[in-house]
Amino acid sequence: MKTLLQKLFLISVYLFLYIPIIVLIVYSVNKARFSLQWQGFSTQWYAELLHDRELWSAFTHSVLLGICAAVISTATGLFACVQLFLRPKRKHQRRSLFAILLLLIVIPDLVLGVALLLLFNIFAILLGFFSLLIAHITFCIPFVVLTINSRIHTLDPNLYYSALDLGATRTRALTSVLLPLLWPAVVSALLLCFTLSFDDVIISYFVAGPDFNILPLTIYSLVRVGVTPELNALCTFTFLLSMILVIVAYKLSRKSP
Amino acid sequence: MKTKPFSLYVIYGCLLIFGFVPFLLVAVTSFLSNDPNNLVTLPFTFDNYIELFTPLFGKVFLRSVLISLITTIGCLVIAYPFSYFLVRSKHQSILLLLIIIPFWTSSLIRTYSLIAILKFKGLLNLFLLKLHIIDQPLSLLYTNFAVISGLIYNLFPFMVLPIFTNMERFDFRLFEAAKDLGAGKLDLFFKIFLPNTARGIISGCVLVFLPAMTLFYIPNVLGGARSILIGNMIQSQFLVIENWPQGAATSMILTALLLVLLFIFKRKGNEGRS
Amino acid sequence: MKRCILIMLVLLTISSQTIAGPKVVNVYIWGGEIPKSVVHKFEQDTGIKVNFSTYDSNETMYAKLKSSRKMVYDVIMPSSYFVERMRNQGMLTKLDKQKLPNQSNLSKPFTNNEYDPLNQYSMPINWGATGIFYNREWVKNAPTSWMDLWSNEWKQRLLMLDDSREVFSIGLLSLGFQPNDTDVSHINEAFKALMKLGPNIKMFASDSVQAIVIDGDAHAGAAWNGDAFKSNMENPNIQFVYPKEGFVIWVDCLSIPVNAPHVEEAYAFINYMMKPESASEIARIEGHATANAKGKALLPRSTQDNPIVYPSDETLKRGYFQRYVGQKTIAVYNYYWERFKLSF
Repeated sequence: MKTLLQKLFLISVYLFLYIPIIVLIVYSVNKARFSLQWQGFSTQWYAELLHDRELWSAFTHSVLLGICAAVISTATGLFACVQLFLRPKRKHQRRSLFAILLLLIVIPDLVLGVALLLLFNIFAILLGFFSLLIAHITFCIPFVVLTINSRIHTLDPNLYYSALDLGATRTRALTSVLLPLLWPAVVSALLLCFTLSFDDVIISYFVAGPDFNILPLTIYSLVRVGVTPELNALCTFTFLLSMILVIVAYKLSRKSP
Repeated sequence: MKTKPFSLYVIYGCLLIFGFVPFLLVAVTSFLSNDPNNLVTLPFTFDNYIELFTPLFGKVFLRSVLISLITTIGCLVIAYPFSYFLVRSKHQSILLLLIIIPFWTSSLIRTYSLIAILKFKGLLNLFLLKLHIIDQPLSLLYTNFAVISGLIYNLFPFMVLPIFTNMERFDFRLFEAAKDLGAGKLDLFFKIFLPNTARGIISGCVLVFLPAMTLFYIPNVLGGARSILIGNMIQSQFLVIENWPQGAATSMILTALLLVLLFIFKRKGNEGRS
Repeated sequence: MKRCILIMLVLLTISSQTIAGPKVVNVYIWGGEIPKSVVHKFEQDTGIKVNFSTYDSNETMYAKLKSSRKMVYDVIMPSSYFVERMRNQGMLTKLDKQKLPNQSNLSKPFTNNEYDPLNQYSMPINWGATGIFYNREWVKNAPTSWMDLWSNEWKQRLLMLDDSREVFSIGLLSLGFQPNDTDVSHINEAFKALMKLGPNIKMFASDSVQAIVIDGDAHAGAAWNGDAFKSNMENPNIQFVYPKEGFVIWVDCLSIPVNAPHVEEAYAFINYMMKPESASEIARIEGHATANAKGKALLPRSTQDNPIVYPSDETLKRGYFQRYVGQKTIAVYNYYWERFKLSF
């Protein structure tokens, strides 16, 4: 009985999460352009999508940016967390670091976007891929630190020091002892960062340049005329691609002993 | 461990430049005067802050806090048992990934899908009418209900991930040990499970409450731009009425408010533990 | 991991090299005004690559331009009253008419106007008017004037545009004043009138208006004639009225900001958009009224005669071009707009 309730609860949560996606998919084959009433089946939007060069370049740019931002911010955040964790005496550094990170989370996205735009002008950084990358890494790092920190505190620093005592090099101790224990948090952080970067509209709005278009901004501008079914088609495609990737990754991880 | 942590200094430096300096810029701007042709100008003034201490703006702050609170509690109530079932399940990784995948499709588009569901001629109304639960369609869109639903929907993984990563380290053998010592079900939960997962709860609440206060396009789209929250107000101040100093001042007040709330939260958390 | 970053950086530099061509123009305009098909035709015919980005409000475009030290954009699309404002501040390049021969295709009413006499700083592309739309499925007594919207029968049924000048124009016109009024006491009265209208307003929206209108989430309200025209095509119950008291006309124009990096390409782009074929394609796809006479002549007869998107000259006499009212007055408008929006 308990497990039935459990299963029901899990299923309803997933339903709640996925119903808007299903709606999205259905409307991508709806003949109507503006209305949200069903007006017949049609694949014309997928045909339009295939020929839309701008949307595809925006998509690949966003994926690239997301991966770079996620990897760099997770690595940086992980390093910072580990360093602070292993040196509990450095209270002053830890306090000030956390203060800045807290500040970054608390500042509204809009304000951070505007402030970064002003900053880039002072440093004469041209708006484009690198301005976006710096901005994305900046707002991702606090999330990385929060996620990894909530896990790192359950560990015992002596694990690391015992490994060193037993003859391991610093790198070996890090990668073979601490990293496996932190792995779920690291993966969570990577996924979180990629999601944040791939979907960020507000900050990117201010720091994006003319020659590196990204998907959220392209969508935001198209939304002005109403969500075109072509966008629904693109989102359906993204969704199916992600599902396939996940299933493949899962099957591969199953195979390894 | 006598070597200087060079990498730490680098990280520190970068965060200082790209995190702290923008904050300083905002702080300085909040004390400048408005000049629509050049965005900001001297003289320094306290006017921007004084103008904000009126009942009108106070109402906006209160409404935002209330809606963010409801959103956070809503997320927590669903995410906590959800994480528990996830931790106990055998298919953790794929279940977790299934939560994240929807969020790789643009949140803007998913919010517009919510419109298709909540509209007057939308799917929810269609569904409820067909089942004869109601006989007139409900006007759900452009209300606070729609805004809260949209916020919970978009911020849900931010609550799940920290709680999950924290809960995953919980040693369930503690339950066995406690039962042997005669603890009841309620004791197991309140005295053992809850305190040990508190850190995850706090992280999750922080990651949800803060964006809930400052996101503006969800309340804009689902609320019909009628109920203005702080995020909308700041957006309007910067981009519509072009009063950057006032926008900066509102942001500073919001930042101060949130920091105060966080310290109270942390204090309570520390007291509880001792 | 370091190797991964290195590989990514190499890929990035390679990809950016292949994307960048010899000739480029950076276009930053309103979303939903110029369709991609026309931009692609331009690229094919001239060999100039277009870096296309959009904004959703004049104020955002203005803020981005003001806070950039080096000008990145070559072509922008300010609305009429912003052309006036930016021209006064020396932000726009004075156009060399010799490089824009296609301007002879423009409709007469748009060749010499109050906001930019003789089009020295801008070239009009699309124009529109704000009037009243209503849905015949839900509305028995069609509104014919702005005053009609204040009646109690519209409680929580109206759509209003999310724009301070537009909404205040409605308030001012309903009281018999003009939309470009600078008299503070008139604006105050308009504010009080709008506060009375508040309970009737269901939502504010300037984009995705068609979905709201067509599916009946709002039964009536203010809308642009282009949006009403497109909605009417999909749902014939949607009707549009040019109110008795008058209405606001806006014009979206292409301009070249001062210190643009690719000036020649900018001229080529603007000139191409004024070709009759380009103008008619823009009008056909986006649904706005075109300021281009030769382009309009290429549209189907039914569109040219459609009173929603191309009203008669008689009707147009009641229209007022949206003008820049000066920063002092704008500050007054902004003050009341903020209080109006926060009162809900």
